[in-house]
This record gives sequence, C-alpha cells and structure tokens, in this order.
Amino acid sequence: MRFETQVTVHVPRQSLWDFLWDVPRLTACVPGCEAAQEIEPHIRYQAVVRDKVGPFTLRVPLAVEVLEATAPVQLRARAQGRDAAVQSLVKVELTLVLVETNAQTTTLQVSADVTVLGKLGTLGHSVIVRRGEAVVAQFANAIQAALSQEVT
Amino acid sequence: MLPPFALEEPTSVHEASALLARYGETARLYAGGTELLLAMKEGLLRYECLINIKLIPELAGIALEDGVLHIGAITTHRTLERSPVVHAHFPAVAEMAAHVANVRVREVGTLGGNLCFAEPHADPGTLLLVHDASVALARQGGTHTLALEQFFVGPFEVVLADDEILTAIQVPALPAHTAAAYLKYGLLERPSVGVAVAVTALPNQVQEVRIAVGCVGPTPRRLRDVEGLLNQKELPEVRAALDTAGALAGSAADAVTDLHGSAEYKAYLVGVLLRRAFERAYQQAIGANAGDAERGRGTA
Repeated sequence: MRFETQVTVHVPRQSLWDFLWDVPRLTACVPGCEAAQEIEPHIRYQAVVRDKVGPFTLRVPLAVEVLEATAPVQLRARAQGRDAAVQSLVKVELTLVLVETNAQTTTLQVSADVTVLGKLGTLGHSVIVRRGEAVVAQFANAIQAALSQEVT
Repeated sequence: MLPPFALEEPTSVHEASALLARYGETARLYAGGTELLLAMKEGLLRYECLINIKLIPELAGIALEDGVLHIGAITTHRTLERSPVVHAHFPAVAEMAAHVANVRVREVGTLGGNLCFAEPHADPGTLLLVHDASVALARQGGTHTLALEQFFVGPFEVVLADDEILTAIQVPALPAHTAAAYLKYGLLERPSVGVAVAVTALPNQVQEVRIAVGCVGPTPRRLRDVEGLLNQKELPEVRAALDTAGALAGSAADAVTDLHGSAEYKAYLVGVLLRRAFERAYQQAIGANAGDAERGRGTA
C-alpha cells in the first residue's frame, strides 16, 4: 500500500530539514506516537505507535532506521515492528522530499509504502488502506501546523 | 483459541446497561457472536467479560404495528428471512437477509449485532437506509430513537454510548407504489459493493428514487444528491440519466483501492448495480400497483 501527500510550509528548506531531525517535535506530529528515542543519531531510533479503529487497538514498537539522508533534500527511513497481541507485522518505508518553492517556502512531499501482515488483515484491507491515508495526511498536516506556529 | 472471560446473563435491558456501565471498556455485549467471537479467537479483541443479551425478552421478536416493522435487536438473519410478516410487507428485507453470509452465520447472527459491529462490508445497513429505518437505543437513564443514517460513525464505530444498547430496529413501510431492491457483488467472502434502491413509480412515471451504497465506503450511506437527479421524471428520462447517476454514485461512494479491487472498478460497479437495482425495483413497483388495486392498498 502506497500513500502520498504533500504540504506547503512557509519556512526555508533548511529549517524544515532541521525540524525533521528534532525527535520530540517530529514525533509529536506522528499520530499515535507514544514514545520515541534516539539510539544512534541520524541512524537508528525507536518509537511506539498506537492506533485504534472502533474496538480494535494496535500498539506497535517500531525500530526506525534511516536509509538515506541527503541534506536538505531527501530523507528515507524504514520503520518496522510487530504487535505481539494481534501477531501482526507493520513495516513502513517513508520518503520525505523537500522541494524549495522560494527562499521562504518549501513543499514537503510525503510518500509511505506500508505493509501490514498477519491477523490484522482480519480487520479488512479497506479499513487499513483508509486508515493509512488518514495517518499520512495527519502527519503532513501536523508538520505544516507545527512550522506555521514557528513562523507566527 | 478463545481466551477466558466472565459471562454475565442479564434478563432486562436495564440490567444489561448497568453491567456495561460497571465493566466499561472491558466488557462487550454478546448476541450471535459471529463477528465478535471470531475477532476474539484471532486475538484482535480481548474482553474480561461478555454480556449475553440473548436472554432479554424485550430484545426479541418481530411485529408490524401501524405500518412500522419492529425488529428486536437479537432477531437473527434467519428469522428475518423466514418471517411471514417480513416476506409479505418487506420482501426486499427478507431477500437481503436470505443472502447474508452463509446459513451458519444467518442462523445465529443478529440484525442488531450486525449494525452495532459496523463492519463496512455488511449488507443490512445499506438496504435499511432506503427504508428510512431508525434504531431504538436504551440505557439506564432512558430511551431514544435515532435515524439509522446517523447511527454509523465509521468502520466498526457507531454512536452508542458506553452503557447504551440497541434494542430494536424500526422499519417504516415504503410509500404506496414503492418497491426496494438490494444487489451486491463480490469475489471474496464479504461483498465488495452493495447498492440499495427504492423506487416509487406508476407505469412510465418515476416519482421518487432512494439510493444507498454500502461496502465501498467506511459506512453505508444514502446518496440524496444522486437521488435528486432521478426524482419526478418520465421513465425514459430516468433511464437516460442512470449513467450520470451511476457515475456520481460511484464517485460519492468514496471507494479506496484494496483487496476487493481498485477504486475505479468499485465505482464502476456501483453504477452497474444502481441501474440493475433501479430496474428491478421499478418493475416490482409498477407490478405492485396492480396488486394494490386488487387489495385496495399500496405497499411494496
């Protein structure tokens, strides 16, 4: 499953790039992210993500690995983890591309390849697809909102 | 394997509501269990307590009163399918019930449970929307009625309060010269697309069309904007507008690409099923007119 969106933020590209490495502020933009920590700067991180659809709750400890960091243009990372309770594997490959619109404006392109394996499929693929779309959009919008506050 | 849980067996709605209030999120109502127990066996849901509501007499039974069909929440699909009252006055509901899942599910699965679980790929909600059905909800503090259209919130989510119970589904008779049809299509265990249409018509004259689409979006939904294209028109005009209506309905259905097919495919299927369901409902509506004349009344 591939989800894509983009948002325009009114900050220079370098500022957005710096924001992406600010772990507390960035993880605040990830829906359901309960805890995140740096294991090896710019290389490995850990996070726990929780999500709920109706009565179904998912809690996944994720190992995050940075695959590519081309400052201040592109960041690729892979997050992978397993919800032990529902025996389901979640794998996300996230690509963030920063396109400079002008000196004070940057377009952030978000692309996520998501794989969900295991019993979670019982929930229904369409629900997972719809939830994935919403989460990626919330993530991008939250970054936009966080940086808007910074400007104002 | 089903994990261990406590079992409560209230004999009144008031008692069941009190149990829900006491246990909170650690308990869930249990009736047919066709969805709930499956999810629990898979480890997707865990509850300390299940509250069996099958022993509550006021949740059972089917009755037709003043043109409104009252269906107790624990009525099974099989009971609906075989009910003479439902067959006689709500034939589309009986036919839909006869094709829910398989006979094992229909034998124990309940209409109330189906609506409350709100699995997006379910049949009953879609058809009941074109019947303008409502749901009766009760808790310790009182009861109220809600249009079914407002009951669904999202996948697996309805508006029930924590201690609230769906007690009955109320289905008003369709207007005179009206018939309903529900058609579905799918290649997997559950339907990919479901379309319900109710048509009020005299020969060659369509007065009103109601349309609902299910399985495609997060919840079943009435498509009133699309209905507006078809109301109060001569039959040839309606038939000519069905392609446009189908395309609009497909778009409004909010399809996503998933294992059931691409969004475009499902949107196209909505249009196909809309046309077929319209024709079936129209033919039954004008066929019913002759019967109405004989019986001196007008119901579907």
